[in-house]
Amino acid sequence: MTGLFVRGVLNGIRTTRFPRGPEGELGTFCGLPVATRFGTSAEAERFARLCPTGALTAGGERVEVDVRKCIACHRCAPQPGQQGSGMRWADGYERPLKVQRPGAPAAASSRKPFRRSLNILVVDAGDCGACLNEVRQLNNPYYNMHRLGFFITPTPRNADLLLVVGPVTDAMRHPLLAAWEAMPEPKGVAAVGACALSGSVFGPSFTCGTGVCDILPVDIEVPGSPPSPLAILHALLLLAGRPVPAMQGDGETNDPR
Amino acid sequence: MTLAEELFIAFFVVLAAGALFTLILPRRHVPALIAVFGATAAALLLAVGGLVLFGQGVDLTLWSLPWLGSLHVTIDSLSALFLIVAALVFLPVSIFSAGYARRYDQTYSLAAMGLQYHALFASIALLISTDSVILFLLAWESMTILCYLLVAFEHEREQARSAAYLFLVMAELGTAAVAVAFILLSRAAPSLDFAGIRVSALQLGAGARWAVFLLSFFGFGVKAGLVPLNTWLPRAHPAAPANVSAILSSVVLNMGVYGILRINADLLPPGTVLPGIIAMGIGVISALVGILYATTSNDLKTMLAHSSIENIGIVATGFGAAFIFRASGVPALAAILLVAALYHMTNHSIYKSLLFMAAGSIDDSIGTRDLDRLGGLAKWMPVTSVFFLVGALSISAIPPFNGFVSEWLTFQGLLRAAELAGRAVKIAFVLAGVGLALTAALAITCFIKAVGMGFLGTPRTPGVRKARERTALTVFSLGLPAVLCLALGILPTYVLPILDRAAVPVVSQMPATDQLVPPFFSGSPAHNELPSGFVAEFHDIGAQTGQSILPGRGLVLMHRGGSDQHVVFAMSPSYSILLLVILLGATYFVVRVATRKRSVRRAARWDGGLHRLLPEMTYTATGFSNPVRVIFRAILQPRVTPDVHETVATHFRSAIRREYDEVHLMNRILIDPVAAAARWISDLLARIHNGRINSYAGYMLLTLAVFVLVAWVTS
Amino acid sequence: MSVQSTLLEDIASLWSDATLSIGQETDGRIRIDVRGDPTGLCEWLVKDRSFRFGGMAVREETDRWQLGYLFYSHDHGGGWVEITLRAPREQTSFPSISSRVHAADWQEREAEDHFGIHFTGHPRLGDFVLHDEEWGEGVAPMRRDFDGLRTQVERHPDPDWHPRRILHTQGSFAMTVGPIHGGIAEPAHFLLETVGEDVVRAYPRLFFKYRAVEKMAEGKPVLDALLLAERFNATQAFAHSFAFCHAVEKIAGAEVPPRAQALRVAFLELERLRSHVGAIRGICGSTALAVAESHAAILEEQLLRLSGSFCGHRYLFALNTPGGLSRDFTDEACRSLVDRLGGLDISLGDLDKTLSRSSSFLDRLEEVGMVTHQQSLDHGLVGPVARASGLVCDLRAAHPYSGYERYHMEIPEESDGDGYARLRVLFFEAQQSVRLIRQAMTGLPGGSVKADVPLSARGSAVGWVEAACGASIQWLWLDRQGRVERLRIIPPSFVNWHGFHLAAEGFAFQDFPIILATFALSVAENDR
Repeated sequence: MTGLFVRGVLNGIRTTRFPRGPEGELGTFCGLPVATRFGTSAEAERFARLCPTGALTAGGERVEVDVRKCIACHRCAPQPGQQGSGMRWADGYERPLKVQRPGAPAAASSRKPFRRSLNILVVDAGDCGACLNEVRQLNNPYYNMHRLGFFITPTPRNADLLLVVGPVTDAMRHPLLAAWEAMPEPKGVAAVGACALSGSVFGPSFTCGTGVCDILPVDIEVPGSPPSPLAILHALLLLAGRPVPAMQGDGETNDPR
Repeated sequence: MTLAEELFIAFFVVLAAGALFTLILPRRHVPALIAVFGATAAALLLAVGGLVLFGQGVDLTLWSLPWLGSLHVTIDSLSALFLIVAALVFLPVSIFSAGYARRYDQTYSLAAMGLQYHALFASIALLISTDSVILFLLAWESMTILCYLLVAFEHEREQARSAAYLFLVMAELGTAAVAVAFILLSRAAPSLDFAGIRVSALQLGAGARWAVFLLSFFGFGVKAGLVPLNTWLPRAHPAAPANVSAILSSVVLNMGVYGILRINADLLPPGTVLPGIIAMGIGVISALVGILYATTSNDLKTMLAHSSIENIGIVATGFGAAFIFRASGVPALAAILLVAALYHMTNHSIYKSLLFMAAGSIDDSIGTRDLDRLGGLAKWMPVTSVFFLVGALSISAIPPFNGFVSEWLTFQGLLRAAELAGRAVKIAFVLAGVGLALTAALAITCFIKAVGMGFLGTPRTPGVRKARERTALTVFSLGLPAVLCLALGILPTYVLPILDRAAVPVVSQMPATDQLVPPFFSGSPAHNELPSGFVAEFHDIGAQTGQSILPGRGLVLMHRGGSDQHVVFAMSPSYSILLLVILLGATYFVVRVATRKRSVRRAARWDGGLHRLLPEMTYTATGFSNPVRVIFRAILQPRVTPDVHETVATHFRSAIRREYDEVHLMNRILIDPVAAAARWISDLLARIHNGRINSYAGYMLLTLAVFVLVAWVTS
Repeated sequence: MSVQSTLLEDIASLWSDATLSIGQETDGRIRIDVRGDPTGLCEWLVKDRSFRFGGMAVREETDRWQLGYLFYSHDHGGGWVEITLRAPREQTSFPSISSRVHAADWQEREAEDHFGIHFTGHPRLGDFVLHDEEWGEGVAPMRRDFDGLRTQVERHPDPDWHPRRILHTQGSFAMTVGPIHGGIAEPAHFLLETVGEDVVRAYPRLFFKYRAVEKMAEGKPVLDALLLAERFNATQAFAHSFAFCHAVEKIAGAEVPPRAQALRVAFLELERLRSHVGAIRGICGSTALAVAESHAAILEEQLLRLSGSFCGHRYLFALNTPGGLSRDFTDEACRSLVDRLGGLDISLGDLDKTLSRSSSFLDRLEEVGMVTHQQSLDHGLVGPVARASGLVCDLRAAHPYSGYERYHMEIPEESDGDGYARLRVLFFEAQQSVRLIRQAMTGLPGGSVKADVPLSARGSAVGWVEAACGASIQWLWLDRQGRVERLRIIPPSFVNWHGFHLAAEGFAFQDFPIILATFALSVAENDR
């Protein structure tokens, strides 16, 4: 027993300063492409066609990025050895998107019940495993979401938030809806990862959908494949109506790596 | 003739009339006859008992025989209590029979049931009220035979026949022991009745005293359901019709207790502590064994039967401890424990009859008693479910019901062992307390299983959905004991003086009420004897509440200690129920007001996201009680045969069959070895009957030779 | 090669009446065309010659069915053997080999649900990939005439579905867990038949995450199919994308440059290390040993950050490409990676020591979740689970790829078969991964990291890799335009889930999550 205690003390405190401060260690997040202007519209067209999920749309010389579809395959990024041309990369974690639904209350006051603590039910609706693993990292000593008042609950009866990963396979459609039904008001949905937002490379098909928004009223979307734990924390803070940090490094770099 | 005597004779007349009408009228009227005549007789008996307790005497001579003396009926206060309890059980059970017995209309002889039922009631009443040894034994034997007949009522079923036979064998063994005990007692007595025995009993030698105690305790113990000869109970109760089971467990078991108390607390109280220790030990073992098997049984009636063993075990612990205190010269505590034992016996009769009737109702309605196949009954039989719940709460000793008070009193009495002298005795008390605590815990487990698996959840078999409430009459017959359970639980301060009236003149030397119910009400006679500081301390918390409306001494039940500690523990079930009702009501009101603007959404239960939660995916009663079975493996010693795996096409299992067989502990330790020995001896002796004329002639010659030899030697 | 030639001779002499032809494919595997019932030959290969059953692939051609049974030798030198059964398209029933080669059990059930073909002699067909209460019978999604992209499919769900219960005893019931269960867990529905304390029979119903990757890959160009092969189980993204590229490179006959091979080895071992640390974290978490779980979580996050900073993605996505890697790495970056891993290795060793001294932790693992050697063999288990039961077979040693034969590697041998043995195997392999990364990255050969691979070659090949959970096989057929004609993925989790019930049966409910954690299986990998 003492061995474990000593081990715990020796491991020290490793919790990140986020959200009170930026997290600077490398490898914590890897970013996504941002809208880029190219020299010619032909070049823009060429790069837009590289995307296997159709996240890039070329409009003249500018290529826009639909982050909901980006699967971080890096095919549009500048290849070393080439001219250095490619999509520009965001130097920060994936920014969560709040969804405004017509008729739904938008004010943060509607989230008052969640301000101090948020109970989250995590449902894996066909995820590849990366997004789920990033959610698992949320309670490791580095991110420690418990200090922010976020908890994982195994039952929908106690849950405030339904966090869905995966493109919603056919077989998980009923369990997902049943879980949503079983949650008491007030409740919300967070869709995490490119699969949950758009189906990525798997959907649509006879057994796979194009994301959670087809089935449930999503409140917050977290793009990325997978989104880094910081992005997910940012989304949870937004949902809880708490102050969120400014996106760190809103500047962009050319080299994503 | 006093009113009580007249009513007593009227009681027999009513029963005789009932028996007569049973013979005359067509059989389909028998259930109604049982109800009418049985209930009337019970009411009469209740009146008799009440009158006797409150002063009137009953003293009748039935007939005089020249060489055996007169056969006499005298109801003293102890008998009056047992009469009241019997009547309180027979009343609802008779009404219940009106609906229940109809199921036997086409299949078995209802006339037989009617006759036997009335005769059983009569013999029980006679047994309790007589003070003549001959009449006692006659009534005892007739009760046994009638019980045998009633248990074997469904005589086409092998199970009923064999259960009845086992009951008869064991009961006869007990009767034989009891008869020998009476013989020993009455050898020196001037007359063959209790009064005479009381006079001469004190002259018996130590050996004879021990013999009387052991024979009477174990002999009556068979009928009471005490270890070791109680294996007839869990077989007889399920085999008998439900109304008979209710009578068996709520009245007939009490007869065993009556017999023990009559001999060992009235006629020949033990002078040393060892008999009391034996009684207490047997009581605790019975309680533990009983509840263990109850928790691991899945047939509703078998479970209730084992639970009866447990409850009588607690009663035995109570009076065993009372014997010890009395022999150690602490009559005050003996009184408390005896009153506690009688209280528990009364409570047990009430709630066990309720439970058995409810079980019978369910069996009648659905056709199965197997808890593994029930479930969700609360939806289809709501009223029965509520009454069963009341019975379950009572038997688990949950306030505000009656079981709580009597078990509390028993425990409090056991705790006072500190005032005794010998170390061995104190250790015995400690062990008894621990055993009872374990029993209480297992009892709760058992009844949570029964209520949870039987009444809540989903029906495990489709047949459950066809269950319907029986008639209003049945519901009334269940409601009566339920109300009594509540009443006996919230008004213990009124029950205790009644029990004292029963016990003090006969078996106690001093009343227990004085030590348990201090006279807080200013109007009560002994109020001024209490120290004013004492009263003031309790005045603040409302001990005086209700004094202007309620009679009696007050509503606080208190365990008063010696001079160094006035109050060991105090509680008031009456005030508790009041507080409970107020709190619940207030909570309900507050919740309704606070949530009046909120909408309520009902959603399906959460089952992990399945399409349908099927009944086979939910817990069964066996599964719920399996941990207990595993923990007490060493005692239960199940014979588990290895699983049989059937496979199809190698590697693909098609079935796993598991058989689980248990031999009851008492059978394993005692009865089976004895039966085996008896069989061996009889086999040996059977060789004498070899069928050859030559041998028989030889035997005759041998016998003749032996006689000649003996005569020659003794001349 | 002599082992192979002996094998060929024996087959020719012993099984001449069952075989139609024996040949060798371009990627080196022996191909035997059989007629009639392949059961005898398959059983002989497995029991007599110690081959392991890799998997089965059903292909529907325009006029016939082709059933391919793939075997690989237990030890080095035996190579791969494919037994092919051809049948006309009208035939819908095939002989089942599962009663003899039980490892084929789930493969046949899957084929039945995918193609609607029947295997005579298999008593458990149906309700496997497509659950009866959602789909019913009659839907065969892998058939050519089934359009995988359409979203409305006619189906006949069975409203009266009941689980098939086999425990017959008083009071038995099937306790249900899932599909949504636990805190952060993948969906799986377990039916645990029990009488109350012990699980007598465990029946997992998987495929809630069925995304029909094999169907979606058909008709796609190689690079798009690579995305599917990489992403269906992202925690093993590099390994699976490697297996796919391995197959493509074999079809194209391309040589991967040595620098790419060494870097691939380093990444494969990095992924294995991170996966094993995650599994150890799961085991500590399942026994609620919070300090140890946090320690392992720290290591896992450090490895993820290491991966992210080194190659731009925490889960090593988008690195493999046919012919090598998609980008290069500087030698200094590689050296610093090795240095940082040294510190992690010491920390992992500390965790190992701490856990081995915690008797309350070991109590939950020792003699719990037992899988015997014979059971592993019968069910064809792979990976750390099999090695913990004494079934020592590792594709890195038996069928080396990407230059593994150059490195010194030991295969852990444990024979207890319980949870603690599996934990010991995980620790051993994790620490060995660090040593392998060090060997691979020290003295990295120069040169390019990618060879040019023509992606429009026709052919078929088997690509394999020893993923963290065990042997992962991808069997690929490319058509003339270089598009995927058929992709058959046989992941290790699929093989090991088949044997999971062996470990769960006979133990209490409370042990179930722990046994599940010690198996460290992935549902996403199984479901595809």
